[in-house]
Amino acid sequence: MKIRTILATTTAAVTFAGAANAEAHAEAMTIGITQNNVGVDSYQTTYERAFIEAAEANDMVETVVLDAGGDVARQIAQVEDLIQQEVDAIIIWPTNGEAVIPAVRKASQAGIPVIVTNSNIAEAGFDFVASFSGPDNITQGSRSAEIMCDRFKELGIEGEARVVQISGQPGYTTAIERAQGFEERLPEVCPDVELVETQPGDWNREKSQQVMEAFLVKYDDIDGVYAGDDNMGVGALNAARAAGRAGDITFVGATNFAVGYEAMEAGDYWGSIYQSPVDDAEAALQTAIDVLNGEEVPFLNYFDTPKITQDNMSEFTKPVF
Amino acid sequence: MATLDRRQIGSVLAKQGILIAFALFMIAFTAANAKFISVENVFSVVRSSAILGVMALGVTFVVISGNLDLSVGSMMSFSTIVVLDLHDKIGPALAIPAMFAMTLCLGAFIGFLVGYLRLNSLIVTLGMLSAIHGLTLTYSGGQNMDIADKEGTWFSVFGQGSALGIPVPILIFLALAALLGLVLARTPFGRKVYAVGGNGTAATFSGIRRARTVFTCYLISAGCVAIAGLMQASRSLGSQNTVGQGLELEVLAAVILGGASLLGGSGTIFKTVIGVLILGFIQNGLLLIGLPFYVQFVVTWIIIILAVWLDIAAKRGRLLSPIA
Repeated sequence: MKIRTILATTTAAVTFAGAANAEAHAEAMTIGITQNNVGVDSYQTTYERAFIEAAEANDMVETVVLDAGGDVARQIAQVEDLIQQEVDAIIIWPTNGEAVIPAVRKASQAGIPVIVTNSNIAEAGFDFVASFSGPDNITQGSRSAEIMCDRFKELGIEGEARVVQISGQPGYTTAIERAQGFEERLPEVCPDVELVETQPGDWNREKSQQVMEAFLVKYDDIDGVYAGDDNMGVGALNAARAAGRAGDITFVGATNFAVGYEAMEAGDYWGSIYQSPVDDAEAALQTAIDVLNGEEVPFLNYFDTPKITQDNMSEFTKPVF
Repeated sequence: MATLDRRQIGSVLAKQGILIAFALFMIAFTAANAKFISVENVFSVVRSSAILGVMALGVTFVVISGNLDLSVGSMMSFSTIVVLDLHDKIGPALAIPAMFAMTLCLGAFIGFLVGYLRLNSLIVTLGMLSAIHGLTLTYSGGQNMDIADKEGTWFSVFGQGSALGIPVPILIFLALAALLGLVLARTPFGRKVYAVGGNGTAATFSGIRRARTVFTCYLISAGCVAIAGLMQASRSLGSQNTVGQGLELEVLAAVILGGASLLGGSGTIFKTVIGVLILGFIQNGLLLIGLPFYVQFVVTWIIIILAVWLDIAAKRGRLLSPIA
């Protein structure tokens, strides 16, 4: 991709050198992206594919697609490379919300607008960011709390239910915000439901399964499990199934995965938040294009992530990841 | 007479420092939460430790032979992803041997580099850690692998089944530990592994084929990784590409915790099993106590360092190093 992009840019430069019209050259924009860790999960893999497809469909856009492989140092070097290549805008999926701020500042000082995608950088860096494009994770957490509470009301246990939470990787912004949204909203909608314990599942199905096994030993009465994403939610479901207690528990996740969708079809898993990596990627690209075209773009440019439960799942296509 | 008895007891204790540490932790955790020692919990801990444990059995051979294996974590991801993918393509009966063959090839490659070319095992396996991760991602295209028909496959027996009331992963772990324990302690090959790790040059001069011994150790390690991958795949019937990430350090910690020397030449399968169980029970015990998880990271490793110290102190018969 990178080589082809450089080739394309060279060809374009040659063409335009011969043409008197310099304006056409100014209109073609080069957008660089450095992603977090493509391939570590299906979401990020699908995101990259969707991003490249969306960019290819747009004649006015050339892209330089990079991936940091989860490594902060490599991501900082990639941002510097993109500055050297004088791209028109940089999209960054931060490997770490704090550590990338100096690199983002450098880009911003070089006059290159930076768009943060998927999960935001820390507030200290907001001055150097043109726009954030991604899901609103706090809202996702609150929506999961509402899904859980509504289900408890249907079951008539909203006065006594006990919930455990399996959160994402400690220190990761998405994990912290989803937990925060859930923990703040739950007592508002269901004041009598008790969140008895939170432990991290590190976005990992196997780890989540182990955590749930310990919860099942520790608590004789669990009515609900909130997992920071469906991958971990299904891990928890597996543990409860093995212990023969899956039927007593309402499972609610976030980022609906194909496995979560299937478990919902089977009636084992109650609900989640529908977040499409395709929407995520397209929103990031569009935000970058809008910024470059000088349009008004809100600083926090969220795309919608609706609730999905067994009741309304027919309105959604099964996630591809 | 009485002093003799005390010395005898002392020498028995000195050999079993790690067992004493293990017993102390078990008592402490049980005191904190009585459910810790329930049959249900013990089964669940040993079952989840079994995957790490099987990998540690293989790495014990490599470490005793005086080498390291840091590639086992990403190799386990590889075998898990491969067997899940092939399960739906060619059926479980063919997928399992195919996965074993591919994993053993990786092990043979590492064994060739370290054994026959005499390259530094740290560099080789550190490199393979990344290379195999890349290989896995290339193979899967980064997608999660899931078995389509989760209800209708006998493949789940290795991770979820049970026989005689005991979960199958535990049976596999114990059977493999018994088998490899015998190989290490009672066969000529086992003695060669100790000899090569203890003093490679001396071993060579006494006619032991050092390269072949090291090569075989890496094959055993890869075989164990393949079994661990099979159990992992069967347990969750689906996986992300990073399922084994970071396990190499936990495996190494378990082996060293069990008392094998990183310099080679010492260690036993039995002690590795104890090391694995200590790691598993610490993590579970802290969960049951309900410590906040930021604290758990710290406490886990304090306990592990404490266990290593108890082990060493018992061997020396004093708490501080004689040189200190």
